[in-house]
Amino acid sequence: TLRLIYTTTAVQRKNVGASGPEKYTEEFIKKQIEEFNLGKRHLANMMGEDPETFTQEDIDRAIAYLFPSGLFDRHARPMMKHPTAIFPEQRKIQWGEDGRPFHFLFYTGKQSYYSLMHETYEKLLHAQKYQDQLTAQDLPPEKKERNLAGSRWLTKIELEEMLLEKLSDNDYSRFIQLLQKLMTLPCGDIEEKYIQKFFKEVPVQLEKAVIEPLKYDERGVAFSTGEGIRKTSRATVVVYDNGTGKITVNGIDVLHYFPVLQDREQLLFPFQFLDRVGKHDMICTVSGGGRSSQAGAIRLASAKALRSFVTEKEMEFMRQAGLLTVDPRVRERKKPGQEGARRKFTWKKR
Amino acid sequence: LDHGYALHTAAKDCLSSVVSQDVQTLAERPRGVFYTSENDPAKHTEQHVGRHYSIPLEEVKAVFPHGLPYRFQQQIKTFNEACLMVRKPALELFTYLKNSNFAHPAVRYVIYGEKGTGKTMTLCHVVHYCTRQGWLVLHIPDAHLWVKNCRELIKSSYKEERLDQPLQASVWLKNFKASNERFLKEIKTQKTYVWGKQESTEEGRPLGEVVEQGLARVRNASDAVGVVLKELKQQCQRGSFRLLVAVDGVNALWGRTTLKREDKSPVSPEDLTLVYNLRKMMMNNWNGGAIVTTLSQTGSLFKPSSAYLPQELLGKEGFDALDPFVPIPVPNYSPREFESCYRYYLDCKWLQHEQARTEAGKEELRFLSGSNPRQLERLAGPL
Repeated sequence: TLRLIYTTTAVQRKNVGASGPEKYTEEFIKKQIEEFNLGKRHLANMMGEDPETFTQEDIDRAIAYLFPSGLFDRHARPMMKHPTAIFPEQRKIQWGEDGRPFHFLFYTGKQSYYSLMHETYEKLLHAQKYQDQLTAQDLPPEKKERNLAGSRWLTKIELEEMLLEKLSDNDYSRFIQLLQKLMTLPCGDIEEKYIQKFFKEVPVQLEKAVIEPLKYDERGVAFSTGEGIRKTSRATVVVYDNGTGKITVNGIDVLHYFPVLQDREQLLFPFQFLDRVGKHDMICTVSGGGRSSQAGAIRLASAKALRSFVTEKEMEFMRQAGLLTVDPRVRERKKPGQEGARRKFTWKKR
Repeated sequence: LDHGYALHTAAKDCLSSVVSQDVQTLAERPRGVFYTSENDPAKHTEQHVGRHYSIPLEEVKAVFPHGLPYRFQQQIKTFNEACLMVRKPALELFTYLKNSNFAHPAVRYVIYGEKGTGKTMTLCHVVHYCTRQGWLVLHIPDAHLWVKNCRELIKSSYKEERLDQPLQASVWLKNFKASNERFLKEIKTQKTYVWGKQESTEEGRPLGEVVEQGLARVRNASDAVGVVLKELKQQCQRGSFRLLVAVDGVNALWGRTTLKREDKSPVSPEDLTLVYNLRKMMMNNWNGGAIVTTLSQTGSLFKPSSAYLPQELLGKEGFDALDPFVPIPVPNYSPREFESCYRYYLDCKWLQHEQARTEAGKEELRFLSGSNPRQLERLAGPL
């Protein structure tokens, strides 16, 4: 006979949050990969291209073409990527059919982290033993110069990704300290390969803006071009040497194009800063935006063009004066529920 | 047309005003390279280009009761002296006027240029020159004033469809009297003019009486103006005096007006007595004088602000009416002229800012004003 046990509904309800993210089985992933490849070939056929040499970029372009979307968020638009990129890597089930875990450190909770620490410490001991051996043989310890400047350790997030489990800050710092201790020893090639896994090349330093050399036109006059942006205006400027300070904008004289003094002052600024007020001629084309933003765009473009005429020190001064930076201020979007970008509706007490 | 870039040197520079009220000493005080003591425009030559010359204040009142631009009048009050710069277009005009043959029909000169380059000032220079030479000057300060902003329009008593403008006419008559006193006594009318039931001017009376009549009876002022113009035109042909017709803003005569009749129908320029008579003066069917005119976009109606060529501003009608004419372009300041104007302001202590005195400041002013006289003047104001 069955006895009905009285339980509350609260207990019976499954606690969805505690079970963690959905687990995908291996066969599921494999099936997804097969479907993806098939879909890729179909897509290549549709676009009339060769299915064999259809790369991920081609796929992206094809999808953007077939399913145009006006959504602003890139991640919300339709996309077709390899399943490994979409489904996050997950830990496979860590125990066998009899319930016994595979790894000996499973019950510590962070098995991969501890196993990693274990391995690293082993390497450390090995290096110390090697050093002892060398001193015993009275040979000078080998010390190889490693280039630390261009590389960095893995970040915590990268380490988490590698180990597929969460780490705490403390754990991470302990690991890095261990690695650094290992590095200080005169270890040599043996541990080199192991440590390489945890190094990352820092990408090349901020490229210094390339200064273009001066170009010479038919008359032998030196000139240089520059482009500038401000709000919605785009300006291109050609600055000629040996000039009288004449400026032409879109084929119109500057006095007619910018009747307001403020705009002309903006144009004057780069030249005045470099004390070259009447020495250069300028021909500009500008489009978009309003009067003030066009003036700002031309100012930026002319400052960029003048870089070719100027020494590095002066260029540094210009940069510090803010003549070479693009003004990032753009019009802020109006939000719903408010009258403007910031202005709220009149608040009425009742 | 390029012959003789008249030596407009230093019209402005003639500041080494011997006759200036500030300087009581008789000795010529050279105020700098950019001043000339030549006060007589007739003697201005190419050496004087870019220099300032001053006009004594009494002469200013006599010669230009109404001719100078408003800002220049303010400048005269501030500096207590009237200084004009001698520039090439004016000198060019002088050579033409000197070499013109007065037996031929009057030649028309049209001074044109972009906004604020000094057309009106050139015209004033020419007027001064002619007054010194002893010509009778018919100076209309701004024809645009006659075709817009008129409060009173009366039906003309002379011709039915036409409209009179008593206020403008009387103002002009007053100024005309102030500038050409002696001529008015000498010239005699050749016809009898009947103004009303009791008033009439007999033949042989001096022209001054016609002017008085116009001033006294404001209703007939416009007709008085018409009479004056007609008489002068007829008598000039005899050669007893030279007549200079100087009109500023001549494109107003052939454009549109902003005036409306009582029934809200628009008025075209021919319907205005003043304009009609002036148009008759502008025809080149008389000899013994010259007509110098200026185009002006500033006061013009219904014309885009970038228009400055005769074709655009005069319209087809005006162009045909004025054709053939001698065009005289007035450009922005040349570097030398700019230099001289800048020195003038410095000398008058008009530029007070410390940086304005430096070389860098000068370059800045040059850049920002684009060597445009008007812009420079406006820029120098707050400094």
